[in-house]
Amino acid sequence: MDSRDAQLAAEGNVEAFERLYRRHATRIRGLAYRMAGADAADELTQDAFVRAWQKIGQFRGDAAFGSWLYRVAISVVLGHRRRLAIHRRRGAPEEWIREGDPSHERRTVIGIDFEAAIERLPDRARHVFVLHDVEGYKHHEIARLLHITTGTSKSQLHRARMLLRGALA
Amino acid sequence: MTNEADRWQERLSEYLDGELDSEQTAALETHLEGCAECRRVLGELREVVERAGRLIDMPAAGDLWTGIAERIHAEGSGPAAWPIARRAGRTSSSGRRQPRRVTFSLPQLAAAAVLLVALSAGVAWQAAGGAAARRAELATTAATGQTPAGLLPASRTASNDYEAAIAQLERVLAAGRQRLDTATVRTLDERLAIIDRAIDEAREALAADPSNAYLNRYLAGAIRRKLDLLRRTAALTEL
Repeated sequence: MDSRDAQLAAEGNVEAFERLYRRHATRIRGLAYRMAGADAADELTQDAFVRAWQKIGQFRGDAAFGSWLYRVAISVVLGHRRRLAIHRRRGAPEEWIREGDPSHERRTVIGIDFEAAIERLPDRARHVFVLHDVEGYKHHEIARLLHITTGTSKSQLHRARMLLRGALA
Repeated sequence: MTNEADRWQERLSEYLDGELDSEQTAALETHLEGCAECRRVLGELREVVERAGRLIDMPAAGDLWTGIAERIHAEGSGPAAWPIARRAGRTSSSGRRQPRRVTFSLPQLAAAAVLLVALSAGVAWQAAGGAAARRAELATTAATGQTPAGLLPASRTASNDYEAAIAQLERVLAAGRQRLDTATVRTLDERLAIIDRAIDEAREALAADPSNAYLNRYLAGAIRRKLDLLRRTAALTEL
């Protein structure tokens, strides 16, 4: 179903692309929500689908459309973080606080629900956690997506999980 | 915690994911037999992973497609520009112009501020009632009475209106602060400090690049978070 609609969309059929949107929008929004936060989730979901429309001619059909769309969305989400970082001296205040002393990180997640605790993770740890534990990517895939080593991916995942223990109550 | 426990704790995620080799796995399992702390941490890590697997994706509050279709149409980009324009038009069954996408442009930022001030004033009315809410209502009236004369002045006006609503909610909260427990007040203060730093940083960046729409959106988002936090906490004082 997806591959047929992707083919039609690549030929300019907006109705087919809308069907793809209807099938995948909630998952893409979930990814954007957890990777970039609630405020940016809707906008990034839209950005991801516009980017997908622009690039759909590059979809070869040799992988699942959902996987291809996911990669497009991840690229959009990570680009969002980079654009924001360029304009700030030390990164977002939330980030440099998050990146600060571990006891602060530990304290900030205690007693907050799990989704909110994910949102409060340091960026890199959050990205790795969402991709690995929520979306099911492997470390070597995450390393390629985030331009990090597999060792960094593993250590950031462990860091995220350790921080999230405080949100289990 | 012993050094050995500390060393093994760093490997617990890899153990959980089956990424240790057989020799490391055996050594860790031997350690686990005698280390209650590591067993506890392992159990918590396992629960974190399970919780992550049970998360539910929530759909957007509104339909995002109209904004996507409009952008596809407006940008004329993608696999085929002219069929897009023609077919995107058909996505509107009524033939009416599609509403703007969810994201803010600078003119929209001013409009969004007006709406947000109205909402926050409404909440302040519910939370505080009486004279305090009336002052918030006056802030709303002032906001809705202004027509953006230009992008940046409009943005500044919107920011001033936000601040009026925030100041109003802060007064409501100050009046009811003693009704909140100590832990809530501490958490509130911590979160407000973080958000205030975000706002300050965004404003500082905007001073150097005032026409940057991305930074304006970021600032609007930070202020929205502050309003939302104040609004929810102010409501708590009424419970």
